[in-house]
Amino acid sequence: MIKSEEYDVLVIGGGISGAEASINLANQGFKVLIVEKDLSVGGKMIHLSKVFPTLDCSACITTPKISQTARHPNITIYTYSQVNDIEKKSEHNFQAIVTRYPRYVKEEDCTGCQICEEKCPVVVNDQYQYDLVGRKAVYVPFSIANPRVAAIDIENCSFCGACEKACPSEAIDFSQEKIDIQINVKSVVIATGFRLFDPLLIPRYGFGKYKNVITAMQMERQLVPTRPFNHVLRPKDGKMPDKIAYVLCAGSRDETIGNPICSQVCCMYSVKQAQLLMGALPLADITIYYLNIRSFGKGFNEFYQQAKDMGVNFIKGKIGKITETDNGNLLLRYEDIIEGVVKEAKHDLVVLSVGILANQGISSMFKDTLELDPFNYIKQSDELANPAKTTIRGVYVAGTASGPMDIPDSILSAGAASAEIAGYLRLRR
Amino acid sequence: MKNKIGVYICQCGSNISDYVDVVKVKDAALKVNGVHLAKTTMFACADSTQQEIANDIKEQKLDAIVIASCSPKLHLFTFRNVAIQAGLNPYNYVQVNIREQGSWAHSDNKPKATEKAIQLVLGGIARVKHSKELDMIKIHSENAVAVVGAGVAGMRAALELAEMGSVVHLIEREYFVGGRASQWNVLFTTNETGQQVVSRLYNQIITHPKVTLYTATNIVSKKGSVGDFTLTLKTKPRYINPECKLDLKKFQLAIDKCPIEVNDEFNFGITKRKAIFKNYDSEFPEIPAIDYDACNKCGECAKLCDDIDLNQQPHETTINVGAVLLSTGFNPYEPPVGEFGYGEVDNVITLQQFKRLIELSPEKLIYKGKEIKNIAYIYCVGSRQVDGDNKYCSRYCCTSVIHTAILVKNKYKGIQNFHFNRGIRTYGKQEKLYHEASEQGDIFLQSFEDAPTQVEKVGNETIVKIKDILTANEELEMSANLVVLVTGMVPRENADIVNLLKVPIGRDKFFNEIHPKLRPVETVIDGVLISGACQAPLNITESVKSALAAASKANSLISKGEIELEPTMAMVYNDKCTWCGKCSAACPYDAISIKEYNGKQIAQITEALCKGCGMCLPVCPENAIDLIGYTDKEMESMIEALIS
Amino acid sequence: MENTDNPKILVFSTEKISDPAIDLAGLLKKHYPATVYTVNVPCSSGIKPKWILHAFDKGFAGVFIAADGTDCAFSDTCSEKTSEIVTQTHEIMKARNMDPARLKMAAICSVCAESFVKHVSTFHAYLLGKQEN
Repeated sequence: MIKSEEYDVLVIGGGISGAEASINLANQGFKVLIVEKDLSVGGKMIHLSKVFPTLDCSACITTPKISQTARHPNITIYTYSQVNDIEKKSEHNFQAIVTRYPRYVKEEDCTGCQICEEKCPVVVNDQYQYDLVGRKAVYVPFSIANPRVAAIDIENCSFCGACEKACPSEAIDFSQEKIDIQINVKSVVIATGFRLFDPLLIPRYGFGKYKNVITAMQMERQLVPTRPFNHVLRPKDGKMPDKIAYVLCAGSRDETIGNPICSQVCCMYSVKQAQLLMGALPLADITIYYLNIRSFGKGFNEFYQQAKDMGVNFIKGKIGKITETDNGNLLLRYEDIIEGVVKEAKHDLVVLSVGILANQGISSMFKDTLELDPFNYIKQSDELANPAKTTIRGVYVAGTASGPMDIPDSILSAGAASAEIAGYLRLRR
Repeated sequence: MKNKIGVYICQCGSNISDYVDVVKVKDAALKVNGVHLAKTTMFACADSTQQEIANDIKEQKLDAIVIASCSPKLHLFTFRNVAIQAGLNPYNYVQVNIREQGSWAHSDNKPKATEKAIQLVLGGIARVKHSKELDMIKIHSENAVAVVGAGVAGMRAALELAEMGSVVHLIEREYFVGGRASQWNVLFTTNETGQQVVSRLYNQIITHPKVTLYTATNIVSKKGSVGDFTLTLKTKPRYINPECKLDLKKFQLAIDKCPIEVNDEFNFGITKRKAIFKNYDSEFPEIPAIDYDACNKCGECAKLCDDIDLNQQPHETTINVGAVLLSTGFNPYEPPVGEFGYGEVDNVITLQQFKRLIELSPEKLIYKGKEIKNIAYIYCVGSRQVDGDNKYCSRYCCTSVIHTAILVKNKYKGIQNFHFNRGIRTYGKQEKLYHEASEQGDIFLQSFEDAPTQVEKVGNETIVKIKDILTANEELEMSANLVVLVTGMVPRENADIVNLLKVPIGRDKFFNEIHPKLRPVETVIDGVLISGACQAPLNITESVKSALAAASKANSLISKGEIELEPTMAMVYNDKCTWCGKCSAACPYDAISIKEYNGKQIAQITEALCKGCGMCLPVCPENAIDLIGYTDKEMESMIEALIS
Repeated sequence: MENTDNPKILVFSTEKISDPAIDLAGLLKKHYPATVYTVNVPCSSGIKPKWILHAFDKGFAGVFIAADGTDCAFSDTCSEKTSEIVTQTHEIMKARNMDPARLKMAAICSVCAESFVKHVSTFHAYLLGKQEN
């Protein structure tokens, strides 16, 4: 028989928006279930280095919030789980199925000691380091993961049993199976975040073909405190780059790849990375190729100005094509908009400032019709007065699930969502 | 004295360990008497480390802990909670700041940064040794909130707070609610008009039993603090009987008769209005108002309309609230005379005036008797200033002006729009408007800050000149029928609020939050929250989000009926005290009185009133007062350790 | 550890006003001498002259009070009271034949990072000059 559980609010997504909304609701006494599809909560933010415009370390802001979520008596978290078949039976009565996928590691027994990792013979790309380095088939996702316990990547596992033998707390369990749980809740929050644009879709940038063309997220991982190389290096030969280019609007403001809108964060994260790189590689030249610099939020324009003063080059230019030349260096062909001529420039590392896109498959979790906006984000049905409302009464949206947003905006949006939900729930109390 | 102290040195990833040799710091700590263990850690705030610290406290029976990491403003409470969970009194914990005041401040000198970190940690250990077990003080909190400013953000916050069960006093300085949104017509986001949004909210507010609306009202004094603010409100007379049955015809006669004309601020001064006025028909409250500051009390209107009562006087109301939520909004930047021809060339107006002009011009777009065909929009006026103080971007203007340009083109025939911009910032989904404007044939020209657009009067023509970087820096010029200065946001007059409530303001002169990500709607003044465009330029949706977030925070702060406060307060050493009264005179909170003790008079602290400022300490001639948490022992032993 | 050519300064900061400014200086990597040590108190008008004198006795070359100024949330008499503490301590210092310039005070607002750095750097330079003479 299928297990069944009850909560006041189902929060889909355990990133910063989901955590913020959950804490607010739990503090008001509501029982919250967070369902996170990944092995760890923390979303995208937990993987960032420092955040603009204050240059606070991202982990220092995320981990305490995440920890607060994880310990809250009113919050339950299911990681590595998915929600489906959400059905509104009546007002304040939603039913859904949560599927918990097996980690093949007993969460309560694992101490995160990582001895299993040492013994595991299988090496694959580490998705949490955006493929910059490898990991084992049994692995703790990343150092500040929550829960900080191992999981087995069953698709790549060779079933040698080395981990099972090595584990001092006998936490490895190959017999685990996926479990479906039926849940009943009064309200739902969609905090499913965004996905990053895949630059393979713009072949002229050479991503995937030239190793020294990387995404901004890969650069971000090289700049974090827990960085894989403990330095910023070019993937192709491990050399320290000294002429770095940023290509803005990669996958944003571009009809041809189906995303006409602006991603709202790439200008700022690129300006931030440029500033961090000036610290990490004091001799490097950094050039940002842009169309418009959109430093619109509180303290952002000042931050942009600061980067200029530090000596970051800004070129208003459209990138045509990137080709590889000698030693893995790259040649950028671009239209210099100010001079009105096509130019070429040599760089030894190119960072694509990839945009953000709506996550797919959110509306199909619902049996009722959850409307999307023209850009596939969750539609806000009363954006001006009730910004978290969706087209299903009782279902709310927080953070980037409703459109591109930076972290401060996401946190405010989550705050708004929790206020609106609390209002909805009180109608019943 | 504590003698089983645990010391944790955080690497903060590499934020600290890149500049401070954390192992050296740990070793130095280990040498101190009373230190039971010392460890370094990657992230002290990580969940696993918190767990480890809690386990150490329990298993090793630590009687105090010191964590050397970032500023206590970030994580003091994080670690106090760790102590509580592990059964240690949270006041037996001291956080030492070796990041903001250590590694980062001295990133230019690693050995010195390490040396300083060691001294700071030794100071922290010395302090924690003398720490006492303390309990939080619980004070009563009034489940009531004063929301200041009845624009969209303030109304939305008020409504949400009322729904959550708080009593709300919604205080508006103007005679009518709605703030800036009521001055805008169709809004970009949903095609509702600003006035429709305002009406929708007003109707909910006015029928809500928990909300009291005060118009034409200012806060004139404040007493008390979080949980228990006493505010005095001063309301200007409306000079109209509040119970009046609205006879618009009679009022129109009165308006016609009124001899006073003033600049109509609702239309940003492009028209005049009378002293008796209402800005638009469906404006709220429904009854008109007579402008207290402008009216000369000639009495002509009262002869025509019985409901007018010029004998009304300003009156004061006292309210008691647990928290204050500010949503005082913004003003459009007012360009000085001569900036892009403003105030000198007759057809130069601001974007906000332009929006009102469109509203007032039904058929043809006419300004000062001339029909307008060519419009030049000059962006970033008062924002992103090179020489002026306003270095910030005003965020809403690019979208607002492009939206307006599209409206103008649809409303009137033959309009040509020219956008003299400094890089279009239609972020996010607003980009589609930029696209739409380009599609409809608007011309976009861009300059950099070193070569600003110029506006000149040449004969009868107004010439706008630019070195356009989009056409290879070519010098272009046009003759404009109307020049619209796209003026940004500055905070609405807030000097009185700043004075009364001591809300901090930032470099940009807007109200400042504690932290943009951790505590985005709270200020350093406990119980005072901020929302909307008084904090930073924001559009309506963004303002509403922050208003709701602030409402939620305010509610969780005060709704429980009591607030826990730091036990930091003054204490009197009864034997030393000889009562001279100096401490009582120095106390701003009347928290010190006389009592009898062993046949003499001594000072007595009233706990509920003491705020722990310490003003009574230095004035005591007998040194008979200490501040809990800052006793002579704690302070002096810390000072000694810092220089050991 | 004693370094005669590097005078040590004790800063009294206030938790809600000047300490945030000192944090901000660090955040912005605005450097100042590493022999500047900060201890914070709730309000600058609660600093006992005794503590200041104790710091001098123990070897601090200078004491800097980063005062709340007019931003003080406790009372608008804060500036006045803090000045009074400084005046009183100056008197005692003079009586003990100490250079009163070793105790300085300035109001540091919650975002006055730059001003803080300037003040302590100038103060440090002054104390350094004193030592050399």
